[in-house]
Amino acid sequence: MQNEVVHVLLADDDEDDRLFFRDAFKEIRIKTVVEIVNDGVELMDYILKPDIELPHVLFLDLNMPRKTGMECLIEIKKIEQLKNIAIAIYSTSASEEDIEDTFVKGANVYIKKPSDFATLRKLLEEVIKMNWQYHTSGLNRDNFLLSL
Amino acid sequence: MNYNAILTSSFFLKGIFVASLFILIFISGISYNHTIVLTESSELVVHSYKVRIELDQLYSNIKDAETGQHSFIISQDSIFLQSFNDAREEVSKSFINLIKLISDKKQQKDNLDSLYKLTSLRIGLLVKSLEQSSLRPLNQSFLEKYMLNGKSIMDNILILINEMITLEAQYLAGQQQKYKYETYFTPFFTLLLLLFSLTVFSFSYYKINHDFERLKESNNNLIITSESIKHAEKIGDFSTWQWNLESDKLIYSDNQYRLLGCEPQSFEPSLRKYLEFVHPNDRHIFIESGDQLDQDKKPTIAFYRVIRKDGELRYFKSIGKLLTDIQGKKIVIGINVDITEQHLSSIALKDRNFELERSNKELASFNHIASHDLQEPLRKVQTFISRISEEELLAMSETGREYLIKIQTAVSRMRILIDDLLLFSRTNKAEKIFEKTDLNLLLENGKQELAQVIEEKKAIIQAKHLPVLNVIPFQIQQLFINLISNSLKYSKPEVDPLIEIEYETVNAKDYPKLKENIHTKFCKISVTDNGLGFEQEYAESIFTLFYRLHHVTEYPGTGIGLAICKKIVENHSGVIESEGRPGIGSTFSFYLPV
Repeated sequence: MQNEVVHVLLADDDEDDRLFFRDAFKEIRIKTVVEIVNDGVELMDYILKPDIELPHVLFLDLNMPRKTGMECLIEIKKIEQLKNIAIAIYSTSASEEDIEDTFVKGANVYIKKPSDFATLRKLLEEVIKMNWQYHTSGLNRDNFLLSL
Repeated sequence: MNYNAILTSSFFLKGIFVASLFILIFISGISYNHTIVLTESSELVVHSYKVRIELDQLYSNIKDAETGQHSFIISQDSIFLQSFNDAREEVSKSFINLIKLISDKKQQKDNLDSLYKLTSLRIGLLVKSLEQSSLRPLNQSFLEKYMLNGKSIMDNILILINEMITLEAQYLAGQQQKYKYETYFTPFFTLLLLLFSLTVFSFSYYKINHDFERLKESNNNLIITSESIKHAEKIGDFSTWQWNLESDKLIYSDNQYRLLGCEPQSFEPSLRKYLEFVHPNDRHIFIESGDQLDQDKKPTIAFYRVIRKDGELRYFKSIGKLLTDIQGKKIVIGINVDITEQHLSSIALKDRNFELERSNKELASFNHIASHDLQEPLRKVQTFISRISEEELLAMSETGREYLIKIQTAVSRMRILIDDLLLFSRTNKAEKIFEKTDLNLLLENGKQELAQVIEEKKAIIQAKHLPVLNVIPFQIQQLFINLISNSLKYSKPEVDPLIEIEYETVNAKDYPKLKENIHTKFCKISVTDNGLGFEQEYAESIFTLFYRLHHVTEYPGTGIGLAICKKIVENHSGVIESEGRPGIGSTFSFYLPV
């Protein structure tokens, strides 16, 4: 599996965060293809295109203009061919409410955007590695919020 | 003293009166009867004497006739003949009288008949002998025979008369005996009547007097009560009224007029007149509440506005209750309350509540801004600083690197401040869900969260077994975390920290700070350490938000931790206090209601 290219998709409206995200993946040793969209509407447009390769992991910011991450999450989980995509919530806030809601709506993991680049890189790497386990072992509320 | 007692007493009196009346009539009847008997008795005596006298008279008349006849025969003087004839007439009269007197007695009547026959015989003889005496020659022997015969008849007459007198005396004696028996009880009855009347009068006097005293007393109480009601009405801005449904008559208390801005009793109360005072838009409320009165027995309440005589708008509350009085009349009693002040203050309160809600909402949105929007740029500043690579750092001047480090420190501190402030405001507004929770568990969770620091500092935490209490679990856990980390932070560098957690149940009345609390029993939990301690004068102020005893460079912190502790304890209707002993340690005690 390590040799396969991992497809990663990020939906985030913040330019700086998109930059950090892209840079972090450049430093990760795993081979990845990173696609980035700027908000929820773009995300849904992109992901429903017939000719694209579906991502293995979708990183979803919650607070986005036009269509929020939460709305996207709910929509994706309703669409048969998309509902098996692993979804990592990627948000500035880590309020109990948001964590609870996204867990209930079927997100696989929750990442609070760190304030240190090295931490970010480690977190993302962890998610890429973990992703496959989650597909087999199911969801677990206790380690839903990922921390190092 | 109540009306009921007086009422019962009056029924009682009426009963006594009726009974007494009957008894008096009864006794009077008997007495009257006895008096009649007495009269009859005396009449009987008179009657009996009359009979006797008449009989004596009869005898004497016969004797007179005899004497007249004898005298005429001897003297041949016609005067004596006249006296003889007069005597005969008298005899007849006596018989007529006697018949009248003894007509009711059979035996006497028979005797009288015999007497009459004898007397007729005697008179007949006298007449015959008179005739004989006038014949010449005088037949001596014949005359003597008549005389002798007459004497024997006279003897018989006397015997018969005596017999009759005896009989009459017997009758009298018999009747007297009977009357004596019948009138035997007369004095007794008269006395009884007198005594009974006296008793009834005395009792009635006592009772009436007693009732009168009671009436006076209750009247006095009534005056006091009505005065105090008047007083209460004036002070409490309310009035009372009565409405007789049958006569449609309304009675207002004096204050009712004052509430309407009028002089007491200045107009004749009526529904129509009152409606004129009620605000035109509220009249239907008033009328509808009046309709409800007839339907159910519960008091009816109406809220409406009133325009006073002077034009001032007031808010009124009327409570009416339908009831039936002791005479069976349907009346409505009620009170009117001027609730203008209450109404206005409740409106003001509503406004304030609204304002408060609005500011709470603003606070919530501020929290969101603080948690998200304010943090984001900070996070980015930090992330960008972390992206400056080693080579780039080396290319910078010494001062530049120093500044960069200072920027990093300041940003970190800013983040901690925001985080702590958020925690504090969440303690304030978070949903307060109380659950029965084992405090040992919460303490254990708290210790786990601090495990790293505890290990680093080689701290020992000794805790007594804690109770199960109704608390907001995550807040109490936060409380333990804050208190323990506080003790760990201000520990003496050269001594291993020792933290003792104790617990006891206490009575609120023994603690001045708890006295005004609604709860009476509290669970006191104290956290004592062997750290730096503090001057007792700071015992209160250390719970103030942002208050710090140490400089940031000595002990980093935001001055929020203990303020959060205070907030948490207050959320549980409890109290927190501290005791500092510089160089020895400090004790933080919090009291939670059991």
